[in-house]
Amino acid sequence: MKDIVVALVGNPNVGKSALLNAISGAEVKVGNWPGVTVEKLEATFIYKNYKIHFVDLPGVYSLRNQTAEEKVTIDFLLKEKPDIILNVVDSTNLKRNLYLTVQLLELELPMVIALNIWDEAVEKGIVVDYEKMSKLLCVPVIPTSAKDKTGLNELLDKLIDVYENKKFVQCEHFETQIEEYLKKVINLVSEYQPILLDLFPKRYLAVSLLEGTLNEPITSSLEEKLKQIREEIKSLYKKDIKTVIVEERYGVVLSIYHQTVKKQREDVVDSSITLDKIFLHKYLGIPIFLLLVWIVFEITFKISSPYVEWLDKVLGVVSSWTLSLLDMANTPDMLKSFVAEGVLGGVGFVLVFVPVLFTLYIMIAILEGSGYISRAAFLMDRFFSSVGLSGKSFIPLLLGFGCNVPAVYATKTIENEREKILTTLMIPFMSCGARLTVFAFFVSVFFTSNKGLVIFSLYLIGIGVAVLVAVLLNKFYFKTKSQFFIMELPPYRLPTFKYVINTAWVRVKAFIVEAGTFIFAMSVLVWFLTNIPYGAKKDETILANVSKKVAVIFQPLGFGTWEATASLFSGFVAKEVVLSTMGNIYVGEKIQEEKKETSFTEGIKEIATGFIDANINLVKNFVSIFGFVKKEEEEFDKSLADAIRSAFNPASAYSFLVFLLLYTPCLATVFAIKQELNSYKWMFLSIAINFTAAWIVSFIVYNVVKDFL
Amino acid sequence: MKSLRDLKPGKKGKVAYITGCEDIKQKLYDLGIIPGETVEVLQDAPFGGPIKIKVHDYCLALRKKEASCIMVEEER
Repeated sequence: MKDIVVALVGNPNVGKSALLNAISGAEVKVGNWPGVTVEKLEATFIYKNYKIHFVDLPGVYSLRNQTAEEKVTIDFLLKEKPDIILNVVDSTNLKRNLYLTVQLLELELPMVIALNIWDEAVEKGIVVDYEKMSKLLCVPVIPTSAKDKTGLNELLDKLIDVYENKKFVQCEHFETQIEEYLKKVINLVSEYQPILLDLFPKRYLAVSLLEGTLNEPITSSLEEKLKQIREEIKSLYKKDIKTVIVEERYGVVLSIYHQTVKKQREDVVDSSITLDKIFLHKYLGIPIFLLLVWIVFEITFKISSPYVEWLDKVLGVVSSWTLSLLDMANTPDMLKSFVAEGVLGGVGFVLVFVPVLFTLYIMIAILEGSGYISRAAFLMDRFFSSVGLSGKSFIPLLLGFGCNVPAVYATKTIENEREKILTTLMIPFMSCGARLTVFAFFVSVFFTSNKGLVIFSLYLIGIGVAVLVAVLLNKFYFKTKSQFFIMELPPYRLPTFKYVINTAWVRVKAFIVEAGTFIFAMSVLVWFLTNIPYGAKKDETILANVSKKVAVIFQPLGFGTWEATASLFSGFVAKEVVLSTMGNIYVGEKIQEEKKETSFTEGIKEIATGFIDANINLVKNFVSIFGFVKKEEEEFDKSLADAIRSAFNPASAYSFLVFLLLYTPCLATVFAIKQELNSYKWMFLSIAINFTAAWIVSFIVYNVVKDFL
Repeated sequence: MKSLRDLKPGKKGKVAYITGCEDIKQKLYDLGIIPGETVEVLQDAPFGGPIKIKVHDYCLALRKKEASCIMVEEER
């Protein structure tokens, strides 16, 4: 079996990943390109005794080596030298797409062009003489449609054919004068710095030397000669060299376009433009957007919650089975506790995120695939540009109020690296649902008369600090002076069901594998900290001892006790466990879930009925999104309330809540940041920023309010 | 001659030259906004937000600031 490496290259929004999905289905793997936040898709597919390895390069408009996407693309093409470039182009938007094609031809790699979205072109009455196009470009051209699954086998056959007869014909399609200059440059290189000829394809080398964009040091004598040529061209064409090259390329593109593309009719009504008249409407656009976002938010969290509860039940059953098994084997208590709380608890921490992430990824795939996400950015740009962000940050930040973990993963939709980092660092300040349970408990103890106001103030503090952090980072870290915003508004398209589900599944799989290991390991570590020495009193565990030492730093904030410190520590793991940890620490007895023996058949029954319940609740929740929701009043543990009342006063309680709001939300978020930004540096910085912000703001708040409360 | 920023929605113009935005000139070129090309302003966003233009066969959004760098000859 022969291995073929095929690199998919094309503009953004041309359906590259949809094409990859259509060819290889669930074989797609998702990862990150090293050192950048750009997503990497790969798939290996066996076809006719060939193992074809597809690498989906990020969508780019040119090979200029300026954006992160362009760097990844050009680096891969020049250094990894794939066997074949598969240039995916949008048949309905050929002029701009072929501009990249013309640049790709300069790389002297075997190439096949997929005229993708062919179905839409046919529908729009666009006729492309692809055989003639193939002759003019000197590379094979195959019409394809990921939606209708047409042209896929022809494409694979052509890839094999090109691989077997490795031939590359360089079209010299610029005007003669320029071609002469390019030859001159090559002669100069072989005279002054011949090594470059081994490193780069000739034509690419000549063009980028002339443009002065080559990413490689050049000797001064060569640079001197190049300067002369640039001057010559400038005086000849009355334009600088970069403009000349761009115009040459567009000249080639337009000539090919006019020779091969016929529009049978000029559509008077373009459905995308009509839809934009509604979705981007000056006054209606934003209300419609807010409505859609609200639906996305509700679906993401409500649709998934019955399954989260169900998974919780399954884990309960599994852990009771495990305990019975361990009992039978006469296992010591410590090991039982380790397995039940450390190991299975860790698995639980990972699994509870799966339903919510899966729904989120479905939402994202729909938003991205339909083209609406760009409209969202367009509408919200005005509000975010002042903080140095673009409109694309809105959705991730908003999701943060539900849960920070999916919110961090939702930053996938932001291409600009700086904006993505900033948004990711802002998300932990968005107060999530898990924090709300702690707030609600404290508020019901200390601030009964104005519950709503206190909780609302916390949300506002979170948002305020997030904006402040973004402004400061922009000013002192990124030092951005001017930013620009030029974004394509792709035509509206209906993403296929298979594409949506596949993309979501591929991303969830990556989460389970990577975040799973990390969160699991941390959960085991936490078990050790809270349980060792085993059987010791609650104030003699490792955690308690560490907390006693650390507590002093919380003194100025009003809650410098080891109990409060230990509670914060558990909040670092997950905000969901803060109240139960506090119960353990303040009340002393473990809030034990009723222990019951579950027989195997009972367990299976429970899991099955639980799953049916989950589906019923799904329908209920779905209805409640569009109807009225009856909120159940939560009941709080009375003994814990009493203990808290004596341990805190209103001022220190409020300060404690502010701290809880602002410091790192949970380990899962920490890991999500690492995975999404592909960097430990930002992960640690995020923790540091959150902790510092929490300390400073709590300090100020405590000292301001202690005289009033 | 006026800048794209001053073109009303629904109006077309032929790109004459790009001025002032050296850092994004290249990006605009890559996207097909080159001298001689026709661009049409389709919509603008509320509160002085970006504008939506059509060039070649596709739509682009850019902020008013960038639009003011693109000088066009308005078509009547």
